[in-house]
Amino acid sequence: MKRLLSVQWVPLLAATAIAGIVLGFATKQFGTAFNIYTILQTTAIYAAIGLSQMVVLAVADMSLAVGGIAALATIVVGGLYEAQHWPIGAAIAAGMALGLACGLVNGFIIAGMNLSGFIVTLATGTAFTGIAYGVTSSIPYSEIPPVLVSLGQGRVSFFSYLLLPAIAMTVAVGAGFRWLPIGRSLLAVGGNREAALLSGISRARAIIVAHALSGLLAAITAVMYVGVLQSATPATGGEWLIISFAVPIIGGTALVGGEAPAAGCFVAAIVLAAINDVLIVLNVNTEAVEMAEGLLIFAAVISGKLGQSVGRPTLIGPKLPQVARSGGEGSGMP
Amino acid sequence: MRRPGVFAGTGARLGDVLGSQTSALGLVMLIALTWTAFTTIGGSGFLGSFNLYSIGQLAARDAVLGMAQAMLVAAARMNLAVGGIGAVCTALLGYLLVSAGVPLWLALVVVCVVGVLAALLMGFVELTTGLSSFVVTLAFLSVYGGGALLATGGHQFQIASRVLTWLGNGTLVSAAICPLVAVAVVCGALCWLLYFRNSLGWKMLAVGANERAARASGVNVGRVVLAAYGLSGLLCAVAAIMNASYELNVNAGFGSDWLLPSFIAAVLGGVALTGGEVSVGGILLAALFYDSLQSGLTIVNVPSYFIELPQGLVLLVAVLLDQARRRRARPRELAPPAEPDTASVPS
Repeated sequence: MKRLLSVQWVPLLAATAIAGIVLGFATKQFGTAFNIYTILQTTAIYAAIGLSQMVVLAVADMSLAVGGIAALATIVVGGLYEAQHWPIGAAIAAGMALGLACGLVNGFIIAGMNLSGFIVTLATGTAFTGIAYGVTSSIPYSEIPPVLVSLGQGRVSFFSYLLLPAIAMTVAVGAGFRWLPIGRSLLAVGGNREAALLSGISRARAIIVAHALSGLLAAITAVMYVGVLQSATPATGGEWLIISFAVPIIGGTALVGGEAPAAGCFVAAIVLAAINDVLIVLNVNTEAVEMAEGLLIFAAVISGKLGQSVGRPTLIGPKLPQVARSGGEGSGMP
Repeated sequence: MRRPGVFAGTGARLGDVLGSQTSALGLVMLIALTWTAFTTIGGSGFLGSFNLYSIGQLAARDAVLGMAQAMLVAAARMNLAVGGIGAVCTALLGYLLVSAGVPLWLALVVVCVVGVLAALLMGFVELTTGLSSFVVTLAFLSVYGGGALLATGGHQFQIASRVLTWLGNGTLVSAAICPLVAVAVVCGALCWLLYFRNSLGWKMLAVGANERAARASGVNVGRVVLAAYGLSGLLCAVAAIMNASYELNVNAGFGSDWLLPSFIAAVLGGVALTGGEVSVGGILLAALFYDSLQSGLTIVNVPSYFIELPQGLVLLVAVLLDQARRRRARPRELAPPAEPDTASVPS
């Protein structure tokens, strides 16, 4: 399809695939089933983190609390299972409910006080992390149920089981934004706030829904990560800030809102996970991974911006001239 | 009677003086309250010269960080890379003094120049690409932070300079005052001169308040934005030097926890998040309050694991109070979200 080539992440995926094949032949370690499994395991986590940020970026807001919510959800799951002897299903449900609640708190503060998500989530994210560290005295829970361990560590050849929830999340979020009325109205608010307001869509509601969803996704990511680490530590999420923005930005999410390319997120996660792995296989310092992420953000944003004219800058990005981008469609009757 | 300008612009020029004055007064009262409370609960140790000394030591650095953040926030931008530049400057200072054996004055000059250049590069990227400062400085945070660690390989530098040791660990006038406090006050005075006695500072505020209007009135926005970035970088370098002067044993990991204090000092100090408004005295007071609170919580035996919770809460409360005050002072240009609409959305 001709349209396929115009999708921003397709060249990225192609380049990564070619680089991967070349590396597979050039080095012994890269092409092994185990190494690909490692990449896919990281991919699943990155994609889930990225989705959590993407749903907020879609309404032209942002959340720096993804990591903080994940830390809190992690210790709730670990603590309820190990200390309170809850069945693991109930513990996970409680963790997810808490993630949702944290997201709702963010959303209500941001929408209610008409503040920028940046500063509010910087504050609440720090507070969530602080609670997680304080409640556990920074001691991780190490008794992890076998279900989560096999989810995090299990594999069939190169296929990590962790991909299943990651793909499910990607599909659900992608479909929700595409077909559900609420998803459409989130995009409408993100794409053009005034137009959405005039079509009777509440920005406040969109912000609250987006942050609640982000919190829920962060909590699910935390559950997945518990299985990978085989430990429920409050340090979870401490390093997620940059990756949470790198994944959706590289995946083609507009920072001005109005777009939610879930599939792009997933591809970006593959690319970042592969780069991460290559740098480790090639014995480059782990700090180089951090630098590479920063440079990739630039590459992605700049390549995505080429040829676009710049309008009024907003807090998180220059506002593009409003092309009639499905603006009011979301307000249509269900 | 009303001393013009220390805590806000001079008189009518910035308007809203009363609001900012009350926020400065509020900060003084908060500090007094904190000190009284912690002296009552934690005993006289809190007001002992040793504790006051360490509060001043930390608050001085946080105040300079707050100014570094305020430079860009007042220009309606933000600098997420304060810690990244801090890491580069700290590592460079350690390398120059310890490994290269460069004289102190030269090392300080080089570090400051590098801090300015590192920030100017971000400003240049922002202007040429038209990206938001958020994305640019976020990406540079990882580039600078990662780069500094990569270049030094996590090496520790033990600084032995006598001047720096005195600056960070000596005393000034009384045993309770660290010389760093004087550095912060001097930085604050220079910032105040810049903002309220210099046309560049005015232009920075004008760009922050309304970029299009500033451009239309003949302000060279690009140059002013670059100046704001450069000054922010310079203050990051100064903060790095201050930090190194009391830690002495430094590595490139320094700076990783600077983002939060920089925003707390700026926002609590009364710098408008929407840009165009700055309060240098407020930043100094906010940093003093923040570090008094931190120190007090330690003295009353709040476990150190909880340390991030009050940090987050302080910032949250500061933002909420600031927004409430601003709403009362003047309605925002953009209509607030219309609550009644909620009912009419089809679901």
